[in-house]
Amino acid sequence: MLKNYLKIAFKVFLRRKFFTFISLFAISFTLVVLMVAVSFLDHVFGAQPPETKLDRTIGVFHLQMKSPDDNNTWSSPGGYKFFDRYARNLPGVEIMSLLTDTFDGGKVYSYLDGNKIESYLKHTDGEFWRIMEFTFLEGGPFTSDDEKNANFVAVINEATRKKFFDGQSALGRTLEVDGQRFRVVGVVANVPYLRTIPFADIWVPISTMKTQAYKNQLLGGFNALFLARSKADFPMIKEEFQSRLKQVEFDDPKEYNRMIGYAETLFEFMSRPLTNSRQEEPAKVGRALATIFIIMILFMLLPAINLVNINISRIMERASEIGVRKAFGASSWTLVGQFIVENVLLSLIGGAIGFVLSRFVLRAITESGFFPYADFQLNYRVFLYGLAVAVFFGLMSGVYPAWKMSRLHPADALKGVAR
Amino acid sequence: MIKHLLKLVWNRKRINFLITVEIFFSFLVVFAVLVFAVYYTDNYRQPLGFNYENVWSVTLDMKSASTPGSRESDKQQQFATIKNMLAGLREFSEVESAAGIWGIPYWSGDWTGDREINGKGKDFEIGFNEATDEVKDVLGLNIVRGRWFGKEDDGATNYRPVVINQLMARTFFGDEDPIGKDISNPKDKERVEQRVIGVVDDFRKGGEFSAKRGYVFHRNDLASEKVSPPRSLIIKVRPGVTAAFEEKILARLQAEARDWSFDIKPLAQMREANFQEYLVPMAAFGLIAGFLLIMVGLGLTGVLWQSVTQRTKEIGLRRAKGATRRRIYRQILGELFIITTIGLLAGVLVVVQFPLLNFMGFANSRVYAISAAISLALVYLLTTICGLYPSRLATRVQPAEALHYE
Repeated sequence: MLKNYLKIAFKVFLRRKFFTFISLFAISFTLVVLMVAVSFLDHVFGAQPPETKLDRTIGVFHLQMKSPDDNNTWSSPGGYKFFDRYARNLPGVEIMSLLTDTFDGGKVYSYLDGNKIESYLKHTDGEFWRIMEFTFLEGGPFTSDDEKNANFVAVINEATRKKFFDGQSALGRTLEVDGQRFRVVGVVANVPYLRTIPFADIWVPISTMKTQAYKNQLLGGFNALFLARSKADFPMIKEEFQSRLKQVEFDDPKEYNRMIGYAETLFEFMSRPLTNSRQEEPAKVGRALATIFIIMILFMLLPAINLVNINISRIMERASEIGVRKAFGASSWTLVGQFIVENVLLSLIGGAIGFVLSRFVLRAITESGFFPYADFQLNYRVFLYGLAVAVFFGLMSGVYPAWKMSRLHPADALKGVAR
Repeated sequence: MIKHLLKLVWNRKRINFLITVEIFFSFLVVFAVLVFAVYYTDNYRQPLGFNYENVWSVTLDMKSASTPGSRESDKQQQFATIKNMLAGLREFSEVESAAGIWGIPYWSGDWTGDREINGKGKDFEIGFNEATDEVKDVLGLNIVRGRWFGKEDDGATNYRPVVINQLMARTFFGDEDPIGKDISNPKDKERVEQRVIGVVDDFRKGGEFSAKRGYVFHRNDLASEKVSPPRSLIIKVRPGVTAAFEEKILARLQAEARDWSFDIKPLAQMREANFQEYLVPMAAFGLIAGFLLIMVGLGLTGVLWQSVTQRTKEIGLRRAKGATRRRIYRQILGELFIITTIGLLAGVLVVVQFPLLNFMGFANSRVYAISAAISLALVYLLTTICGLYPSRLATRVQPAEALHYE
């Protein structure tokens, strides 16, 4: 029976090539846009190397100091002194790491044989390498001792090895960046630019900074990462962090006497602009997710209406076919079943085309080099969701007209008076 | 005629309703993308107010404790270092002039304030900058009234000299001569006179796509306690100087301050990055909207085609009663026109609310009006194109063939 339905379906698709094309175009195009958007979000926020423990990681990405009269606000990433003195030993935290914000003054230059080389430099500590799981191509990370003793050692990425050492082994060799010389102890695979926390070209110990001024700063270019024992400890860590904020001793309490900040996930931090939540209040993740979801639904609305329109037209056209089948004793349910098979089949074909196109588009974006070191992967789970939505719309738009048509009197249907 | 067409449309209300909804959403999508496109095009055509060619920027990272209002002795030390750097740079034969400035063009950081327009109770956004005397030469600012900062301002102790742009002058002083007027903020607690000494035609720091706004330059004399060290140096190099010169600049600057870091970049390069920031999202959304329209267009053609086939009888009857091909053609297109108009009317009703609700508030009503007009034209064009083939099809219906049905 099913084989018969499929045969008929194919014949129908081929007979009305134009309609088939429109349906396939709508389904596959919608899927492609959804896939690219979701892959982008996944690329930025999803758990992937080196951030494999993302589900247990929270951080402090932004702090604010307020003056007593509330008129002056100084906002910036946190300072080393603040984190070192007040944020250590939070209960439930397994490892804490401090790292400079790569995008806040992390761009450095080297001159090699008269050529200018641009790199992103991140200052961090030994613990960083225990929170992140980098893929080391050679050597290994620097250690907490390197940080303590201010050893001029560096971990570089593959791209930097290519630029400085022509792709040859870099272990033990030195490179000069921003007027300082570092000995390479490890080479890692490239980290995408959009992975804003671990991203850099060159990682070096914090203590190798040009001046030691950072040790006295409550605010400055640092982020803190906390690896919790489990996700369940997040509320406890967040609460304890708030109480630590109250202990801060200020350099000049007349100028600034209040510190505001949150321990939060990167998604919570980045979703703030989306929900217009100010730095003074906790991020509203639920609302951010709802906003993204509503935008996606709104986007799917137009293709869905289009699909419904097309399906209704297709069915109308087949009034006489339905009449013949009814006249020969097919029940309404049989007819509806047949149309469901047809619509699902069409959705699946559209899905397959969308799948191939999505891979093609993602490959093109990856290769355009617009986002350095990006590797956009197709998210199979989301693809299945998208396909389910397409099938759902296909069913919705197909079943109702099919049901109405199947209830027609055979004589009317044969004459084609359907409206 | 119209009344008759309306009746025909009403007779097939279910399918026509779906088409109307589709047209309504298409209009909204086209409008949303066009508001951005029109807004940016509009900005692009305004004068920029400075010249970016052969200008290089050097952003300074002084690695100091960097508390705002840091200790006065530190600051004087930094001023001295920067003065030495500027003098050193001017010694190069490749350099035409060099200056210090707080915010370089195309940099995303900004310094803004709201100022109430005299007695009108409306806030006006102003951009601020702090510039040394040579900035005018380096950036090729165009003075339209008065003069730029110079040595003669050294004696100004009880007031601060400022240079404003034309928009600011016009907004605050209308046709009056702004020179010598005070623009300090009445809300400031310790109010110091800010005396206008000159007017530049404009300075759109955000680049070609940024909005026009009021602008105020303060003078940075690299000495007084009221100003802070400039964030960046800008250098006008002679035409034909290549990137290899950067290394020489860097060596010279590093010699003055061992522990500072420098970020050297031609403005042309920053301009390119700035363009990409605006154009890439625009192109992506434009592409998606374009595909959506194609999809809608194809769907509409399909539906119309189907409805013409279905109405063979009706059309055949009209032909048999003497209607010409031309009249059939006009009937099909007329019906489509009415459906489109209903969808668009709903769309316009929604769009009219945007300025009132301050949704997409960056654009002014002129931009809204132009975008709405273009969107209307585009959607009408789309539906007309979609209707052409099906209505041609309708004219080919033979009366005999149609009547043969019964």
